[in-house]
Amino acid sequence: MSNTALSPFVITREFRAPRALLWQVQTQAQHLQHWLSPEGFHTIHADMDFRVGGRYHYGLEGPNGLQMWGLQQFLEIVPERKIVHLQSFSTPEGGLGRHPMAPAWPAYMHVTATWEDSANGGTIHTISWQPHESDDAGIATFDGARDGMNAGFAGTFAKLDAYLVKLQG
Amino acid sequence: MNRHSDALSVTFAALADPTRRAMLLRLSQGEISVSALAEPFQMSLPAATKHLRVLEHAGLVQKSRDAQRRPCRINAEPLKQATDWMAQYRQFWEGSLDRLDAYLQQLQAAEKSQDSDVEALSAKSSVNLNPATDITNKPAFKSAAKKTRSQKHTTSKSAPERKAP
Repeated sequence: MSNTALSPFVITREFRAPRALLWQVQTQAQHLQHWLSPEGFHTIHADMDFRVGGRYHYGLEGPNGLQMWGLQQFLEIVPERKIVHLQSFSTPEGGLGRHPMAPAWPAYMHVTATWEDSANGGTIHTISWQPHESDDAGIATFDGARDGMNAGFAGTFAKLDAYLVKLQG
Repeated sequence: MNRHSDALSVTFAALADPTRRAMLLRLSQGEISVSALAEPFQMSLPAATKHLRVLEHAGLVQKSRDAQRRPCRINAEPLKQATDWMAQYRQFWEGSLDRLDAYLQQLQAAEKSQDSDVEALSAKSSVNLNPATDITNKPAFKSAAKKTRSQKHTTSKSAPERKAP
């Protein structure tokens, strides 16, 4: 976590569990409902269709009955090694939802998760995410320069963040 | 609040173009004139000015009226808002992974002590999440969830101190 400032959108953790178990617990709805929610929230809906092109649709409920609905659409699955998915806010019906603070952008986060054996028998799990342009965002289409955007975002943000750190002394 | 959300969307839209991101990087090294800024991108001055206008509209760049000669300057505040917004995903994942850690320990402990496999444990402690019924059955679900949590003894409470390096 020492690297937080320079790569704000990557989390790496070591778990004291084998890769196979992590994979199971992170890809099956009956397990996901036990942990995939921030503190204070619990799962009220968990619908998993785990395959490339499939999705995980979930609902969380937090303090004061506040509900949060999310959708993960799977783009790439390498068993026990890697998952790439698009994360978005959702509706209880499973449609695309919007973040209340930024209704127009970005509709998706492009999330890459990887699992590796660690030296002491555990598993190193890494998650990274970056904004992903939505097909219906409209707002960003004025220059038609979509190509290469996704690849460019992560590195650019890391550099801009380094600059921000510098600015703030 | 509305004004803020608009600004954030405008910032992300401005950052969505590779040329504008490259311009921002160039500007992060210091003030520079519009023509000097346009040069490495092999674009016309009007094209560069158009990109700059988008950046300016998003509040990412400040420039004077005489755009031809006077330097442009980067303004970091909207960037900070954008990165803060992205950081909310960090909170979501950090919180969830704390719980995952605790859950894994619980699963493995149960596996050892009760000789029960992971499937059996999860089946025992999970509730029926049939989409058709889970909302209407919320009270039942809540009590089931609470029971599950208490079965998980104290691992979730102590999770924060066990963050991996």
